[in-house]
Amino acid sequence: MQFDSIEEILDFAIGKEMEAHDMYMDIAGKVKRPGLEKTFLELAQMELGHKARLEQVKAGDLSGFAAGEVQNLKISDHLVDVKPHPNMDYQEALLFAMKAEQRAHDLYVDLARATSDPGLRELFKGLAKEELKHKLFFETEYDDVILEGN
Amino acid sequence: MSLKNTLAPFSAWMQAFSKPFTVPDEPGVRPGAPRYRGWHINDRETCIGCGTCAEICQNVAIDMVPVDEPTKGDSGLRPKVDYGRCCWCALCVDVCPSGSLAMSNEYVWVDHDGDAFRYTPGVDEKPWDGAELGWRKDEGFDIVDHERVPMGHLDPEERIHTWAEVVVGYTEEEARREAARCVECGLCVAACPAHMHIPDYIAAIRDGDDVRALNVIYDNNSMPEMCGKVCTRRCESVCSIGVNGDPLAIRWLKRYVTERFDDLKSVLDVDVERVGEGRKIAVIGGGPSGITVAYYLAIRGFEVTIHEALPQLGGATFFGIPKYRFPMPSLEKQIKLLEDAGVKIVTNHRVEGDELRRMLEENDAVFIGTGLMKPYRLGAEGEDLPGVVYALDLLRDKNIGREVEVGERVVVVGGGNVAIDAARVSRRLGAEVTIAYRRRIVDMPADDEEIEDAEAEGVEIIPQAIPLRVERTDDGRLDFVWGPAEMVPSDRGRPRPKLIEGVEHHMVVDRVIVAIGQSADHSWMPPDIAEKVADAKGWITVDHNGMTGHRGIFAGGDLVNDTADAISAIADGLRAVEGIQRFLGILPEREETEPEIPVITVR
Ligand SMILES: Cc1cc2nc3c(=O)[nH]c(=O)nc-3n(C[C@H](O)[C@H](O)[C@H](O)COP(=O)(O)OP(=O)(O)OC[C@H]3O[C@@H](n4cnc5c(N)ncnc54)[C@H](O)[C@@H]3O)c2cc1C
Ligand code: SF4
Ligand code: SF4
Repeated sequence: MQFDSIEEILDFAIGKEMEAHDMYMDIAGKVKRPGLEKTFLELAQMELGHKARLEQVKAGDLSGFAAGEVQNLKISDHLVDVKPHPNMDYQEALLFAMKAEQRAHDLYVDLARATSDPGLRELFKGLAKEELKHKLFFETEYDDVILEGN
Repeated sequence: MSLKNTLAPFSAWMQAFSKPFTVPDEPGVRPGAPRYRGWHINDRETCIGCGTCAEICQNVAIDMVPVDEPTKGDSGLRPKVDYGRCCWCALCVDVCPSGSLAMSNEYVWVDHDGDAFRYTPGVDEKPWDGAELGWRKDEGFDIVDHERVPMGHLDPEERIHTWAEVVVGYTEEEARREAARCVECGLCVAACPAHMHIPDYIAAIRDGDDVRALNVIYDNNSMPEMCGKVCTRRCESVCSIGVNGDPLAIRWLKRYVTERFDDLKSVLDVDVERVGEGRKIAVIGGGPSGITVAYYLAIRGFEVTIHEALPQLGGATFFGIPKYRFPMPSLEKQIKLLEDAGVKIVTNHRVEGDELRRMLEENDAVFIGTGLMKPYRLGAEGEDLPGVVYALDLLRDKNIGREVEVGERVVVVGGGNVAIDAARVSRRLGAEVTIAYRRRIVDMPADDEEIEDAEAEGVEIIPQAIPLRVERTDDGRLDFVWGPAEMVPSDRGRPRPKLIEGVEHHMVVDRVIVAIGQSADHSWMPPDIAEKVADAKGWITVDHNGMTGHRGIFAGGDLVNDTADAISAIADGLRAVEGIQRFLGILPEREETEPEIPVITVR
């Protein structure tokens, strides 16, 4: 992937958040389990929040980025990805979301590695950290709800 | 009158000028002796408000007064002493189970206000607070025996070759001796989710009146033999005797009484109004919550039918808990009582499709207690290989009487009661067993005694072990691959495990038993109703009557409460018993001040 400016990168990232939003909206319309539609709608809403934050960054406000170190619980790293399906349950929904955030994180880490421009590298790292924060949100929920007895 | 008598007043006067025999007054007050029994002092923090001091006081000099909000194991009350009545005997100090109460060696106090001589030590500040000297309970001395009457267990070596019950049970003499340790403070009642009348039945056991004890127990628990064997005993964790000694063996005492009687109907003296005559109730799910609803409504005249998917009632206490902890005859006895009460039992019937809608039309109310029947998946690679099984399935197959094999070597993934049960069952099936748990042993949700029993039976526990994947070996066995975890801090309480990358351990086994947890499965409900009552996690929220978001549908048990144990399911059942009667206008609406889980009696 080739980017010529910071603007371009941020537009790309904003596009990714929109893609995630559309995907969650799509799943929300398909799942059958009670309450899960609401969960996916909330996830879609969350992606809009992420998008807004990136737009803030684009407007020059870097405080929108996650500050400090973000914890990586690595729960999803060794779990198997799931394909969304109408009979998904809460565990699968969380797995799916964790994996999606993991993929987004990995993408920015790769982009940071591939660029030689220090300014761009910092921006990619910042975006990767944002995605890690989203992953942490789902991993914490997974640890508290699904793995409560483990 | 003689001359001597006439002069007597004058000779008495003469004494006034002679040297006194008594010791002359010294300036100031003499200090009390080091062990003098003076004004009371109390450590407000250590005191648990059990009221034992007030109970023992023969002069009724102590009142328990509210000081703090009640918490688990602390009534929030503190003793207030009336010195117009106190005779400074120090019985209250000698009996105090927490050791918080003492007496200073101060004894002089002048005040013109008589009311000042009633105060709450440790709360109302006094100059002698924190006094070093005065009366203390002697080291090692206690009116109440601090040691629990020990319970016999089968030898671990013998256990793993049998399905017989591990716990032997108290003899009559042992039960009476253990019951005599109770000080009847009642802190346990508040801690028990069902608010069982614990001190009352313990007192009856102590007095040798087992029939009375049984009747008190059945006031608000229709599965007490099960609780007497497997209850999580929240009551014992707050027992005042447990502050400085072994808590009362409340569970074992209940077990003792309930095991004494085979024909419950002939012993139980039920006397409640049959207010439900002509009303019909359907119960879906025959676990502890459903059984509670069915029994307490049936004895009130309701026509109750329980629908259960499995061939036997009991729920997880039938299909989950192994028989060496809760044997079949104990469960059958409790189901027989249900039949005797007139409950119609339909087994092998999974309610599905539109049935719930029909039930709502044909009944005055419906209760759902379908529990958590769907195991969570491991989520790791290799989960679908043959030989990777779920603990719930394994335990159910064993309890239903199917042939179950686990091979020679087993790894169980999980740390709750279900994991421990799967491990101990596998031991009895002849396997070497290891439990792999993600967190530390202190974090294991399983009962400490269960963990100890499992270890005594040779189960190995590897803490901080994260399952990575399962692979098939060349000789058809399974390679369970796990990585070590470090614990990282969390802002939500217990620390979380995090994989230490780069290290892999291998364990070749015949079975990987997954026991990480379970969730509710509502696929049997019409979707529009499910949408109204359940959330994404499968949990059902109920109001103070136990009613869900759908009128006329009540719910309880594991899919409602967050404690997921049998006694909480029973408590939920009791709430619905009252809630259904309120819903039908038989009982008045609940007052704000009334507890949500009612304190009920049926005598
Ligand atoms: C292995 C294991 C060990 C445990 N050990 C302990 C312990 O030591 N101490 C303790 O206090 N608790 C223990 N528990 C937990 C305890 O058993 C549960 O908290 C309790 O049984 C929950 O009761 P419930 O009323 O929610 O229903 P459950 O016991 O969960 O039963 C639900 C019932 O509903 C039936 N059902 C489900 N769907 C339908 C349908 N559509 N139609 C008809 N019937 C349906 C099921 O077949 C089941 O019988 C253990 C649980 C397990 C699994
Ligand atoms: S007996 Fe001791 S612990 Fe109990 S209320 Fe009295 S002072 Fe407090
Ligand atoms: S069992 Fe313990 S907590 Fe309950 S009344 Fe007796 S002494 Fe108090």
